[in-house]
Amino acid sequence: MRRPLSSLNLGTNVKVKLGRAGFQFTSDLQHLNPEQLSQEAGVSQQEALQVLQAADTGGGGGTFLSALELLQKEEGSRSIVTFCSQLDHALGGGLPVGKTTEICGVPGIGKTQLCLQLAVDVQLPQCFGGVEGQVIFLDTEGSFLLQRVVDMSAAAVRHCSMLAEDEEQQVAMTTFTVENILSNIFLVHCRDYVELLAELHLLPAFLQERTKIRLLIIDSVTLPFLQLFDDLSQRTRLLQGLGQKLIAIATNHNIAVVITNHMTTRLRGAHSHLVPALGDIWGHAPTTRLLLEWEGSQRLASILKSPGHMETTAQYQITCEGFRDAAQSEQPQSKRSRTFTD
Amino acid sequence: MIWDQLQLNPTITAALQRAQLKSFKEVVCVSGLDLQRLTGLSQAEVQEVLAAAAAACRSHSPVTALQLQRGEHHGYEFGLRLGVGCPVLDQLLRGGLPVGGVTELSGESGAGKTQLGLQLSLSVQYPQEHGGLNSGALYICTEDPFPIKRLQQLILEQPVLRSDVPPSLISGIRFSDQVYIEHTADLESLQVCLSCRAPLLLAQGLVRIIVIDSVAALFRCEFQADDWLERNKQLLAFSSSLRHLSHEFNTPVLCINQVTDVFNQSADSLGPSSSSVCPALGLAWANQVTVRLMMRRLQGMISRGAQTSALRRLEVVFAPHLAHDGRDVGVWREGVCGVLDAE
Repeated sequence: MRRPLSSLNLGTNVKVKLGRAGFQFTSDLQHLNPEQLSQEAGVSQQEALQVLQAADTGGGGGTFLSALELLQKEEGSRSIVTFCSQLDHALGGGLPVGKTTEICGVPGIGKTQLCLQLAVDVQLPQCFGGVEGQVIFLDTEGSFLLQRVVDMSAAAVRHCSMLAEDEEQQVAMTTFTVENILSNIFLVHCRDYVELLAELHLLPAFLQERTKIRLLIIDSVTLPFLQLFDDLSQRTRLLQGLGQKLIAIATNHNIAVVITNHMTTRLRGAHSHLVPALGDIWGHAPTTRLLLEWEGSQRLASILKSPGHMETTAQYQITCEGFRDAAQSEQPQSKRSRTFTD
Repeated sequence: MIWDQLQLNPTITAALQRAQLKSFKEVVCVSGLDLQRLTGLSQAEVQEVLAAAAAACRSHSPVTALQLQRGEHHGYEFGLRLGVGCPVLDQLLRGGLPVGGVTELSGESGAGKTQLGLQLSLSVQYPQEHGGLNSGALYICTEDPFPIKRLQQLILEQPVLRSDVPPSLISGIRFSDQVYIEHTADLESLQVCLSCRAPLLLAQGLVRIIVIDSVAALFRCEFQADDWLERNKQLLAFSSSLRHLSHEFNTPVLCINQVTDVFNQSADSLGPSSSSVCPALGLAWANQVTVRLMMRRLQGMISRGAQTSALRRLEVVFAPHLAHDGRDVGVWREGVCGVLDAE
């Protein structure tokens, strides 16, 4: 394969030096060792080593996987349940690990509630069908209220202890406590987009240390970038970079990435309707897009975009315990669970 | 030179200076490949620069929720709330206003919004064990002159409202000395107040709540209908400075807002509303609010002893930690109080 050296991921000055010394294609480097290359092209030994490694791997293209292998890999990985069985069913078992998912909706619809619920649910022990992972939560809005997480954790622990039957589950319950759940949630406050981008730069190193993290939540990705109201081209560029970085984090570390987005009004003729914020280009970044919306007093979650699911709509409600299935329509106001909707 | 702080290899520092990169922010906002092109450094060196600059940008490394709960993280007090001073309303708000984030209180004129604002600027002065934050209040008026007579009346009636607090403690607090009042008639002076005077008061610990009465007045009157782009821009700048103050100083912020009529009942995309009005300033503002409360005037009067009051209702529209719920309240001589057993 004649691949030009200029297409490799190398520093410009190295590329110039290689070109001057007459190296044009990766095949030109085949039988050289680092010392020879550094002498011939006038680059440092370390740079020569990098050049040869890059030429070998084709610039870090990675290994190829067949579709069958990919399928087996995906079937082996579990999903994070949402505790709303309708939505789990629509998503094929829950939120996929290794993919990016965006949650959009108007204020007060329950985006943060779903995020907090997922932060608890990702920790469900494996014998309960969970992922048993940790979570890192990047809070840009200040809406991570610990009180609410404690509520939801206590409800999840109660729920599981009622389900626990065999010995394995009993044993798992001894470590699935509110205290342990809280200790598995890593929280970072990001006050502006610079802090958010900085945090994402540092995240790969953090994820390498904490291999148990299976979920990254950014609530919300919109707010920090609203400050860049004047410079839309920079905003688009930064958002594109951010989207790429999230996809890389999701695939390289096999974690689920969940981000939330605001809604904004778009005028079409005389009609106005609500669309997810941050523009059309951003819409390509997440793999799956969930839209939470009101219909009368009913909360609906629908899959707006997904390569692998039908466009489905699920009903949900937010109770004291957290994100749950909508109450049966025969008894919309059950006394047992005090709901947000009335 | 800021790059000397990072303890990088001198050749890298020199390359960064040559590329005329002046701040960590610039470096973090450029992609790795662009940085290679600008500085002529190798990939590994650029990664090193990025990691160092990113580490310099962030305020703290990730903390676990358990550390927060145990108070092991500097500057965070678990469950700290600013109480309203009425057990019924404090129960509705699970203790009161959260100390980080913007709380909005909207309602028609005469619903009792200002009354609650005044009450909070007094309750903040109590010590923490009585629901306060042991500090003063900054009250920014944009609509009417500050109701100073009503504040005096509320101060005199504090022993009646706060019967749970020892009278000696109440008489020891010099309430009116700790309410800082600011009148801003236009957006510009509001911005000056928020960017210069408010941080000073907050940094000295003289103030631990900001009440803005009201946000709608300025944004509604200063812009024409076709100026919406400029209005949105100003609104975002304003709300981001509020949020910044709130998080920087761990301070609750209460924004009083007006309401607007809902003409098109079918377009209730913002949620089920129990009345024909919704808070003003639209979706762009709603996205910025952490807790949204609403006060309504209901039909009917309630009486207690010799006093009568119009029946009102305080509702939680949305909040990350509160259920959608409401309580009937009355406005009395001593302040806003929830009504028990209205049903």
